[in-house]
Amino acid sequence: MSNWPAETKYIGHSTARIDAPAKLTGKARYASDIQAEGWLYGMILRSKWPAAKILSVNLDKARQIPGVKAAVVARDGSFTIRFYGEEIAAVAGTSKQVCLDALRAIEVQAEVRHEFVVNENEARKENAAQVWAGSPNVPATPHVRENGSVDTAFPECAAVIKGFYTTAVQIHHPMETHGNTVSWTDDGVTAWASTQGVSSVRDGLAGALQLDHSQVRVITEYMGGGFGSKLGAGVEGALAAKLSKAAKAPVRLMLTRFDQSLAVGNRPSSFQKIKMGATADGMLHAFEMENYGTAGIGAGGDSGGGSGSADIPAPYIYKVPNTRVKQSAVAVNAGASRAFRAPGNPPASFGMESAMDDLAVKLGMDPLELRLKNDPSPIRQREYKLGAEKFGWKEKYQKPGSSSGVVKTGIGCAGAAWPAGGASRNTQGEAQINPDGSIEFRLGVQDIGTGTKTVIAVVAAEMLGLKPEQITVRVGDTRFPPGPGSGGSTTCGSVSATVFDVCTNALQQLQTQSGLADARGENWFAACKKLGVNPLVVHGKWQPGLTADHACGVQFAEVEVDTETGLVTVKKILGVHDCGLIVNQVTLESQINGGIIMGMGYALYEERVMDDLSGVVLNPNFETYKLPGIADVPDIEIVLINMPERGVIGIGEPATVPTAGAIANAVANAIGVRVCSLPITPAKILAALGKVPPATA
Amino acid sequence: MKNSEPENLGAHSRRTFFKSLGTVAATAATAQVQSVAAELEKINTEKIVGPNAVPVTLRVNGEKLQLLLEPRVTLLDALRNYSSLTGAKEGCDRATCGACTVLLGDTPIYSCQKLAIESQGIEITTVEGLAKNEKLSKVQQAFLDKDALQCGYCTPGFVMSVTALLKKNPRPNADDVKHACAGNTCRCGTHPRILQAALRAAGVETASKTEVVDYV
Amino acid sequence: MNAFTYATAHSPASARQLVADKGAYLAGGNDLLGLLKEYLVSADILVNIKSLPGLDKIERGEKFWTIGSLVTVAQIEDHAEIKETFPGLHEAASEVASQQIRNVATVGGNLAQHSRCWYFRHRDTQCLKKDGDLCYALNGENRYHSLFTGNTCISPVVSSLATIFASLDATAIVLRDGQETRQNMAELYQRAWENPLAHNSLKNGDLILRVEIPTTRSRSAYLQVSDRHAFDWALVSCAAAADVVDGKLKSPRVALGSISPVPHQVETANRFLDGKVLDNATATQAADMILKDAKPLEHNAYKVPLAHALIRRTLLKLKGDA
Repeated sequence: MSNWPAETKYIGHSTARIDAPAKLTGKARYASDIQAEGWLYGMILRSKWPAAKILSVNLDKARQIPGVKAAVVARDGSFTIRFYGEEIAAVAGTSKQVCLDALRAIEVQAEVRHEFVVNENEARKENAAQVWAGSPNVPATPHVRENGSVDTAFPECAAVIKGFYTTAVQIHHPMETHGNTVSWTDDGVTAWASTQGVSSVRDGLAGALQLDHSQVRVITEYMGGGFGSKLGAGVEGALAAKLSKAAKAPVRLMLTRFDQSLAVGNRPSSFQKIKMGATADGMLHAFEMENYGTAGIGAGGDSGGGSGSADIPAPYIYKVPNTRVKQSAVAVNAGASRAFRAPGNPPASFGMESAMDDLAVKLGMDPLELRLKNDPSPIRQREYKLGAEKFGWKEKYQKPGSSSGVVKTGIGCAGAAWPAGGASRNTQGEAQINPDGSIEFRLGVQDIGTGTKTVIAVVAAEMLGLKPEQITVRVGDTRFPPGPGSGGSTTCGSVSATVFDVCTNALQQLQTQSGLADARGENWFAACKKLGVNPLVVHGKWQPGLTADHACGVQFAEVEVDTETGLVTVKKILGVHDCGLIVNQVTLESQINGGIIMGMGYALYEERVMDDLSGVVLNPNFETYKLPGIADVPDIEIVLINMPERGVIGIGEPATVPTAGAIANAVANAIGVRVCSLPITPAKILAALGKVPPATA
Repeated sequence: MKNSEPENLGAHSRRTFFKSLGTVAATAATAQVQSVAAELEKINTEKIVGPNAVPVTLRVNGEKLQLLLEPRVTLLDALRNYSSLTGAKEGCDRATCGACTVLLGDTPIYSCQKLAIESQGIEITTVEGLAKNEKLSKVQQAFLDKDALQCGYCTPGFVMSVTALLKKNPRPNADDVKHACAGNTCRCGTHPRILQAALRAAGVETASKTEVVDYV
Repeated sequence: MNAFTYATAHSPASARQLVADKGAYLAGGNDLLGLLKEYLVSADILVNIKSLPGLDKIERGEKFWTIGSLVTVAQIEDHAEIKETFPGLHEAASEVASQQIRNVATVGGNLAQHSRCWYFRHRDTQCLKKDGDLCYALNGENRYHSLFTGNTCISPVVSSLATIFASLDATAIVLRDGQETRQNMAELYQRAWENPLAHNSLKNGDLILRVEIPTTRSRSAYLQVSDRHAFDWALVSCAAAADVVDGKLKSPRVALGSISPVPHQVETANRFLDGKVLDNATATQAADMILKDAKPLEHNAYKVPLAHALIRRTLLKLKGDA
């Protein structure tokens, strides 16, 4: 078992993001910036119907447009369309304009089907149109988990609440859309991909193109966010490759924002019918939940979380002796879900933490007290206590709805767990140490914006007694030793432990080769000089003892609700999080800010809106799919629980989990009634307050 | 010259009119009537170009960029697809995310919703034009210092918005920054740091709100 | 976006000639390029009108101010004397979209912009405004739609400037068939009230030249509420303007945006307010009158209490109380 050094110069401190200058000056080349020699523009034609049988696709007219170099079908022969936006064909041409014209010249013969369903509740009905012919939209038997005896436990409870808590389909919407530039030559395929997993894209592309893995190289020097949706090669990857092969030129095929809204994943919705009871002293005693949600036409090959598809963990972070949980995914004619930052957890936290506050009201208890009584995690217990003091919970807490005036204030809190966050044990890396003392680390991971490159530099500098700016870091290439996809909040742990090992090995070998007892720090250049002519290339891999998993976190929210307009203003969020050994504090804080703000979007603004009649996504844009902006963002305070003895734990996912629950509870605390449905819009606030007249037209 | 006003051309199609105008222009020039020449120059700028590619000259970051573009090509596409200036990003192509923000003169605009052909004759600044001799601008340096970027894809747009704000108002408060940056979207959730960076670039320091507490 | 030709016009007359039957005027381009990119409109020529002389000026006058149609929303927002003279106009301008849009968006373009109904803006729905045979919103996702309409289309006018201009009783001067015609805000949108295909009363080739704002109302105010705090369309917007003599309202006008195809004005409410000393009860009565005939739908009924609150607040703001 290895151990992190006790005294540190860089680990646990703050080092500025090492690639910041490249990103700030426009020098950083993202996948969408790649201009390979002779590159062509690529675009995808998508179905304008939610359900259809494609009989034939005629590309002739498209190919005749000057500048069009290739046109391919998404699937050969006749095929079935199951959602609005499903891929039909793709074109490559000398400009975006040429491609736009070509898409409109493609002739599609289709048997349009008017039998489709895009709404979860409609899809559950017996006579609903079937998304998959011959297969019901809802499986005949739900996933059931049962402990103890719920039926005998409820009558034993002193207080029982029932609630129906729902969450909307959320779209990842990374700022850089999915896509890549693919070059297919006789030597093989090179893809500059906007991905969270160079290795998984390599394997996926090789599979789709029936090539050996060794014939595909994936490069991701910079990419513009993924949040779980960019782990695979995607249809767009294979289409770009096919276009490149046909056109004999590299093809840059990036999705449009419209495309992005339809076909590359989302967080499933949830409809959580919860019944929960506690004994008079506030101990949770019985919990029953029926939940359904939609992962679109399916889970898209990526788990929606929990036990698959649209399932969520319940009763989430709490232990209830008697529980019964039934869950089922509902198929609808819409794009499939994909893993999305802490899959399953934000909806689970929202539902359960809403129920906790409702139960606290029923018991006449302070909701924080109820949590302290029932939360089994000692770390969260500590986080709640620390947070409550810093937040001023006791001073601020008022009974729900007792805030006076038109604009009411309220506070709420919620907890999070993230079972992963450790590391991928197969992570490898290498360093090339040159006789002049320069050193380059190469790892086949990618930096999705979390600061992975900086973490590598920080750990290397610490271990070698150098400065972070002396470390060259290269990631995002399948020719480097393999690393994990950036998922599960495991990248930080994976690379930290691997770089630790690379450095340990490097120091040993330098000692052997140079004869110097300690090659670190001031001896570094002397030791390297003794290498002579050849650089030293050292390998390493993840080692046990340096990383851990299971991060916890709690958040507190303070809101203002205008009871006449329904507008919610989040004034403050306090996040109290643990992530073991802090590697680089400044980038860690940025990730927590980001998780909170994304959670706030989930709470208040974000929702994929489907139209029942036409089956289209009504808001495939940033105008009506509303993301939080700088004017919405509250004052954010962070408390980090330093636990170096646990080793490195990732933070990306747990930070976004409790925000929506905390905000929803604060809103309910302010106005005295609960909005049970995310996003909490002005319309829903006014409805909850009983101010909305019935429809007349 | 009143007679050459288009509304007096009766049955002539405007294409015919503008074709014939070339001849008129030549005749007028030889007549060396200064005022007439000036008037004609004005009308010649009214000539119809396209739909095929036409020469377009952009002045970007102090340099001339001579391109051949269809009139429908946006300024963003001209930069990203017809030159190597990929600093301005495409996030939405619909004037909603701000990743494409560049300065026209001192004014931040969405380059995705502006035609390249109408962006001629005015200095365009992209994020590539801010650092001088490898030295980051004050705004860029503040973004680095405050870690006001994560994946970095929205960053060029925010940097341009803040740069423009500080040119217009060197001492902005937090509300001014929010007003100026409301048209930029960040999905990584870097907003608090962007606010702090903008204020730092304006000479206002904000204290860290993070506390590190030992568990034991 | 289909291919088009392009020209820069130097006089309104040549602009009209160039735009002909199938062209479009290009100024800020926010709305036009958005429509073209989604293939919602087509234009064989884009006529850049930003060089038209004299239309980019704000001119103050004794009886009225003139704002050229090429004045940008940012120019209005930044104009110190407008902020002083027509505070509601300043507030409305500052709520328009984002800095980048305000910097290029023109007064003419803001008034002439097309519906933002998400069915109209969707490339694959054939709604009434696109000559289809049904309004998808009527029984569909109508959370952002109208409480009032004179036809079968329920998409509301979203121009913030139209709302404040209506309360200030401003007039748009429109060049039509070579003649300058005058249209107040009710007239400028009347056709959208009557005809589902129309976004406003402008005909093909019409060019808004300027807007005249009478100085009779010394006080004005504008408020809007959106889902988010900035860069979002108003769910409801409200503008009010009046003169105040001895504490009493004179010539008051209230107008609302985003709840009707026209800036929503109710003359009986304006008359009711005339000569009144504003207090909460008076403002409430006016709000009741203004919303009396609202026809809320399944998802937009929240706009009734929201509009009610905004009317009261805007009126009280006019008084200087809020």
